[in-house]
Amino acid sequence: MDQLPNLGREQEMLSAMGLKSMDQLFEDIPDDVRRTEPLPLRDPQSEESILTDAQRLLGANVDLDSRPSFLSAGLARNFVPSMVPMLATRGEFLTSYTPYQPEVSQGMLQAMWEFQTMISELVALPVANVSMYDASTAAAEAITCAVRVRSKRADQPNTVYVSEKVPPHRLSVIRNYTQGVGIKLVPIPHTASGTLDLEAATAAKGSCAVYVEQPNAFGIIDEGLMGLRAVIGDKTSLIVGVDAVSLGVLEAPGNWGADIVVGEGQPFGIGPTGGGPIYGIFACTKDYLRLMPGRIVGQSEDSDGRVAYTLTLSTREQHIRRHRATSNICSNETLIALMGAMHMALLGPEGLERLAMRTAAAAQEAMEALLSVGGVEPLYPSAPVFREFAVRLPIPSKLALERMDKLGVTGGFDLSRWWGDMGDALLVGCDERTSHDDIKKLVNSLESAIAGVTN
Amino acid sequence: MKHNPRLNERIVQMPGIDRIHPLQPDHQVQGLLSIYYEMQEMLAICAGMDAVTLQPVAGAQGEFTAIRCIQEFHKSNGQAHRNKVIVPDSAHGTNPASASMCGYDIIEIPSGQDGRIDLDALRSAVGDDTAAMMITNPSTLGVFERDIARAAEIVHDAGGQMYYDGANFNAILGKTDPGRMGFDAVHYNLHKTFSQPHGGGGPGSGPIGVKSHLSRFLPSPIAARRGREEGDPVGVDDGFWYFWEEPESSIGKVQQWNGNAGAVVRSWAFYRRYGHELERMSEHAVLNANYLRHRITNPVDGQEGTSAFLEGAPASVVKHEFTLNMTPLKDKNGATAKDVAKRLLDYGYMAPTLYFPQIVPECLMFEPTETESKEVLDKFAADFLEILSEDPDTLKSAPHTTYVKRVDEVLAARQLVLTYPFE
Repeated sequence: MDQLPNLGREQEMLSAMGLKSMDQLFEDIPDDVRRTEPLPLRDPQSEESILTDAQRLLGANVDLDSRPSFLSAGLARNFVPSMVPMLATRGEFLTSYTPYQPEVSQGMLQAMWEFQTMISELVALPVANVSMYDASTAAAEAITCAVRVRSKRADQPNTVYVSEKVPPHRLSVIRNYTQGVGIKLVPIPHTASGTLDLEAATAAKGSCAVYVEQPNAFGIIDEGLMGLRAVIGDKTSLIVGVDAVSLGVLEAPGNWGADIVVGEGQPFGIGPTGGGPIYGIFACTKDYLRLMPGRIVGQSEDSDGRVAYTLTLSTREQHIRRHRATSNICSNETLIALMGAMHMALLGPEGLERLAMRTAAAAQEAMEALLSVGGVEPLYPSAPVFREFAVRLPIPSKLALERMDKLGVTGGFDLSRWWGDMGDALLVGCDERTSHDDIKKLVNSLESAIAGVTN
Repeated sequence: MKHNPRLNERIVQMPGIDRIHPLQPDHQVQGLLSIYYEMQEMLAICAGMDAVTLQPVAGAQGEFTAIRCIQEFHKSNGQAHRNKVIVPDSAHGTNPASASMCGYDIIEIPSGQDGRIDLDALRSAVGDDTAAMMITNPSTLGVFERDIARAAEIVHDAGGQMYYDGANFNAILGKTDPGRMGFDAVHYNLHKTFSQPHGGGGPGSGPIGVKSHLSRFLPSPIAARRGREEGDPVGVDDGFWYFWEEPESSIGKVQQWNGNAGAVVRSWAFYRRYGHELERMSEHAVLNANYLRHRITNPVDGQEGTSAFLEGAPASVVKHEFTLNMTPLKDKNGATAKDVAKRLLDYGYMAPTLYFPQIVPECLMFEPTETESKEVLDKFAADFLEILSEDPDTLKSAPHTTYVKRVDEVLAARQLVLTYPFE
């Protein structure tokens, strides 16, 4: 209420307009739809008491940093440098409007353009937009984009092949985005070692696109994917979903034939935040530029010939092209993407490599330690992993997680929540903050959990 | 562009939201679940709806989600043949784009002279193939559709569903609601109505509310609660146990987790500041828009300039925004709406929305929100009128005082330098 500067001055303003009451401002709302009773909501609160309530309610949550935590499943319990929230909450970034007026938005626009540059460098593709909502909507819109580009000349029009090990929540988003526009999704099976079945993938030749993930849902670095381009030929789009951090040590998909790279940007820039706001990355070759979704910033000049930045190629977008637009996306995740750019800029290329090494090393160490526990087996033996790995337990993973939780350890993710036949499989996620001590507690708590059953 | 309380930023940096994973078990996130539940309830009350999901992360995604629910509703009733969505020509571009992504054909109907729905055009557009109508009220011209209930009747009689684009919800909170107007589904923009900061283009949050017949199709999961039973942990100690629940015939996911939880928490803090007085916020947004319109169209101190524009829509009162048609200025001296917008930057203002809605030629759209003081509105009106009487060359070459001068948008699209040229 105290945020209304004209509170108490209503009569002054009304009489200037020749009006007597606030009600007259709403007399154009017909009686049959007018609300006359007050909203049945709670009393207004002061800033101080809201803060107290927020501390109480949010304090009732168990945050990931309060205990050893191995829950990842596509998000990172990352370390975000302090400079990132400090910069991002400056009013120039936080409260600024969409930069439709480039003359007063150069800082914002240049930051967006530099984000595009970083993503482009990271994935080795020449074009990137200024974010999608998340990895899943990025994947879904990559698929619809690829169909727009490829379908007319495809032997299998409107058909897209998707790795069968794409996590179900992502597949659900993809289905929602593709079901109405006549796109047929065909699963590509995986082998017994958890990697994509390249032989089966030959069926995708002549289709519009193939969507795979590197590393995949089990954290497996699938080297075979680097040969996928040869398998599917050059008329089918290759869309690769990535863990952005992994590109500090893995070959960028743009260098092994990807046309479009998508993925979760969250590890760069922001904590897991209850699942949002996070941001999806979307990069592609120039062939897709004019049919891709999302906002793009281009370099230009002002009327004095000085370098200036502006939103560009907006004729693809809904506010101009309406129902023929390449996407309905309007508001996106710009600020979070810029937080990602700030984070990446602070890391630099060497820092990014170290971050990726730490993440990979933590996963390797945790995996070796867990496999020393009696009855624990790798779900897919001998696969190289990044950030996450899957193990089979001698007891249901749901039960193991409940018992570990009581011992103060968040032990990972019960894979049967994704795939019903994986009741004994546990997905364990690591990150740059995973310590030797965390891993020791993980092992001890799992041993106790298993012992609780057998005793 | 409304006030973004700093308190909200302080709250979302707490570990109880920043360091929370969406797949944590219910007992670890009772606080977050209770905030979700409270927001679902509050939004349902404000819109006259029966159920709410907070999963969509932007207004456009809210539209898409609601149209998907409507699509599944029709399918479940053996009405899958309904393949048309009706939108007025004044609609936000996201409306037709969202419906199109669900596979619908779009029928655009012309607005009447005053920018309102043309009921005859609507009558001839509906039929056995109508899936839904998408409309915002007040319209994008800031005018309340007084025939909205009749429009809803026409669409419902034809078997279609009514979808409310909540982009302009800031105008009507507590004064009316989409449920009363006859709508079946609505989206909210938490970044427009509930103070989630704009961030230069996002993040937003676009929850949707639906009437009970659509609730079983909502995305999964939504926050639910039951009375706390013996043996339950203490939770947030309000007598309830909160949990994630999958609606019976859910369309599944539109975002991979539970939406933009950070935006939900910010908006929760904003809502708590107003409580049942949210209505005052809309009153002041509407007061400010009408006051500014009055100041611009009835200048004081002998200022000229009013012959330089026409009103976008004749109306005795507007809601939270209004439009001007700058054609007379262009006819007089060649200066366009865009030139005026650029000149406003020199005076230190963010320019109004330009060339939207497309049905108003040379359109400028003014939306002061409840956040601007009377002094700012007075000064803006005076400066705006001053600009209209300036030398047209000053306008055409504006802005003059900004960090860069007018940016060449055509060159940007031609040279396509989209990343730093390292070579």
